[in-house]
Amino acid sequence: MQGKDYLKNIVAPVKLRRNGRKRDLTEFMSLPALLLFCTFFVYPLLKGVQMSLTDWDGMGEATFVGLANFTRFFQDSRAMGDIRTTLIFAAGSAILLNLIGLLYALLMEKPFHGRSLTRVIIYLPAIISPLIMGYIWYFLLQPGRGFLYHAMEQLGTSFQLGSWMSNYPTTMMVLIFVNVWQYAGMTMIIYLAGLQNIPTELREAAMIDGAAPWQRFTGVTLPLLLPAIRINVVTNIIGSLSVFDVIMSLTEGGPGYATESLSIYIMRMCYGSRTGYSTAVAMILFFIILIPVLISMRLTREKD
Amino acid sequence: MKKLLAFVLALALCLAAFTAVAETKVNFFTGKIETIDLLNEIIGEFNAANPGIVVEQEYQNDASSIIKVKFASGEVPDVMTTYEQEFVDQGKYLDLSDMSDWWNRLIPSMRASCTDLKTGNQYRVCTNMTMAGFFYNKEIYAALGLTPATTWDEFVANLTVIKTQMPDVTPWFIFGKEAWHLGHLIEFIPHGYLKQTLGTLECKTAMLNNDSAKLNFGAADGCMAVFAQNLLDLQANGLINEDVLTATSDNCVEAFVTGKAAMFSNGMWALSGILEANPDMADKIGFAPYPAYMPDSKPVVLCAEDSGYSISATSENVDAAKAFLTYLFSAENQKKYSETLGSPSAFTDVDANWAPAAFAAEVKSVLNSAVNIGFTNEKPAGFSGDDAGRMVQDLLAGTYDAQSFAKAYEKAWNEGF
Repeated sequence: MQGKDYLKNIVAPVKLRRNGRKRDLTEFMSLPALLLFCTFFVYPLLKGVQMSLTDWDGMGEATFVGLANFTRFFQDSRAMGDIRTTLIFAAGSAILLNLIGLLYALLMEKPFHGRSLTRVIIYLPAIISPLIMGYIWYFLLQPGRGFLYHAMEQLGTSFQLGSWMSNYPTTMMVLIFVNVWQYAGMTMIIYLAGLQNIPTELREAAMIDGAAPWQRFTGVTLPLLLPAIRINVVTNIIGSLSVFDVIMSLTEGGPGYATESLSIYIMRMCYGSRTGYSTAVAMILFFIILIPVLISMRLTREKD
Repeated sequence: MKKLLAFVLALALCLAAFTAVAETKVNFFTGKIETIDLLNEIIGEFNAANPGIVVEQEYQNDASSIIKVKFASGEVPDVMTTYEQEFVDQGKYLDLSDMSDWWNRLIPSMRASCTDLKTGNQYRVCTNMTMAGFFYNKEIYAALGLTPATTWDEFVANLTVIKTQMPDVTPWFIFGKEAWHLGHLIEFIPHGYLKQTLGTLECKTAMLNNDSAKLNFGAADGCMAVFAQNLLDLQANGLINEDVLTATSDNCVEAFVTGKAAMFSNGMWALSGILEANPDMADKIGFAPYPAYMPDSKPVVLCAEDSGYSISATSENVDAAKAFLTYLFSAENQKKYSETLGSPSAFTDVDANWAPAAFAAEVKSVLNSAVNIGFTNEKPAGFSGDDAGRMVQDLLAGTYDAQSFAKAYEKAWNEGF
C-alpha cells in the first residue's frame, strides 16, 4: 500500500494532458528503444541519403552532385547485368527454397524412425557460414578437380557440369543450388511450425468427408499455412536479393562480372573510391528489395 | 599499517600513470602475411631495447581496403605497408626524403621506384625487390631440349612441343579464378610493352595524364589487341589449362611441383609456396622473362620495389616510428627479412640467401638480359588490376574477341580515370 502511494507521488508530477487524454510515465518507456532506433537506423539512413547525393570518395571532400549517381547507375551496363543476376538468383532461390522447404516439412511431419536426426541433418547447413559453405562446394564442384564433379561425370552426360563457370545458366544454377541446399532446412523449420499449428480436427474432418490427399493439402493445409508462407517468402526474397557470400566464395562474381550481384557491386564500388555512388546503389537495392516484399505481403494478406 | 598500504598503493598508481603517460605507442599496420612472425620477433626485440616505445603490429588480409576505412575514420596507423597514389595525392604520408641514412644504403633504382612522380619526394621506403616472370620446370625443358623463349613465336613453339611430347603436362598454367593473376598478365605484358617502348618515366606520365595518343589501348593492332589475340590462340590450341577460369593458385602450385605443369607466370612471392609444397624442386625451378610479343619489343621482366614502409603524415609519434623503422632496416634484420620474404634485399649492405643459389643466379641473369619494368602505380583509381583481370576472364570465357577486348579495355580505363 505504502509502495503504491510512493509510486503515485513519482508518477503524478509527470502526468501530462494532451487532447484531453492523460499521459503518464509508462508512455515514455519506449524512449530508450526509440533513441537506439533513431541512432542506429534513422540517422544512418538519412546520412546515407545525403551521401548518395555526393561524389564522396571515402576520404576527401564530398561535392553535391544531385541525382547524378542514380542516373549513372541506370546507364551502367555492368550494373544492369548485376540487377539481372540478382533478380534471377532471388527468383530461383525463393521459389526453390519454398518448394523444397515445404516438401521437407511435409515429409518430416510424418512420424518415422530417426525423424529428429533427419531434421537436424537437413537444418545443419544453415548454421554454417555461407562463405565457408561456398568454398566447400567450390572444392567439390571445381571443374576437372572436384570430387562431386568427377562423380557426376561418371553418372553420364546429362549430369556433366563441364566448365560450369564459363556457362552463365549453369553457373547460375550451381549458385542457386548451393543457396537452396544451405537454407532449405531453415525454410522447413518455419513450415513445420506452421503445419503443427493446423488443428488436426480440420484435416480429420476433411478426410472423413472423403477429400483426397491433394484436396486436403490444397483445401486445408495450404490456406492455413499462409502465415508461414508469408514469413518464408519475405525472408527468402530479402536474403536472396542481398546475396553476397555464396557468390563471392564460389565465383567471385565471375567470370568477369557475369555473376556479380548488386551487393558485391556495392562493395567493389565502395572500395574503389566511389563511396557516394555505392551508397546511391545501396539505396536502389533497398527499393529493389522493398517492392517484391511489399507485393508478396499484400498478396498473402489478401488471401488471409 | 593502513596508512602505509594506502601510500604504497598511491605510489604504485602514480608510477603506473607515469609509465602510461611516458609510453609511446606506435601502431604498425601491415597486409604482408609472410612477415608477421618475423616482425613480431623484431618488434619484441625493439620494444625490449627501447623502453617507453611500444610497437604493435596489426595484420589485415584485405589491408589495401581496410586502410581506406582507417583513413576515413581518422584511426590512422603510424607506420603502414599499404601505399596508394591517391593517398599520396591527398597528403596522407610523411615525406621521408630527408632520411639519408636509409636512402644511402638503398639501391639507387629502388629509390627512384619509391619516388613520387608528381612531387619528386619519397613517401615510402622499400626494403626489397620483387621480380616476376615465368617459373618453368627445368627438368621438363631439359628432357625436351627446350630453352626459355625470347620471342612470342619461340614461346608458342615451346608450348607446342610440350603439349605434343608430354600430353599430360599443361604447357602454361594460368590460375584465372584469381582476377589479380590475370590483371598481372596485363600489367607485365601489354603494360610492360608500353613501359619499355615509352620508357618508365614517360609511360608513368602518360598514364597519370591519360595520354590516349601514347597509351593507345584500343588500337586494332595495338599492344592490348595483340595480347588478347595471343591469349585466345593459346586457349584455342590447348596450350593453357582447360580450367583456366576456375583454377586457383593452389592448383597451380600443386600442378607445378608434381610435374603436371611446365610453367606459370608469377612473382618471387610464389617461391616459398613452391618450396614448401616440394622442397625437392629447389634445383628444378627455372626463371624466364616475358617474351617479346610485338614487332618492336624485347623480353621484359618485372623488377619492382617490394615491401614498402610509410609513416602517416598525421602521426604524433614520428620520432618513435622512425626509430622503429631504423631498427627494422638494420642489415642484420633485413637479412632475416629478405630470407623470410624470399626476395632480394633493396639495401646494398644486406647479403641474404633469399632463394636456392641456382635459382637466384638465373634470376640475376634474366634481370641483366631483359628489360626491367616496374609496377604501374599510376592506374586510374576506378580501374584496378583486379578489374583488368576480370576483363581477361571475360575474354577467356568468350565474351570478347581481341578487337572488342582492346576497345572495352580502353573504355574501362577512361571511365576509371
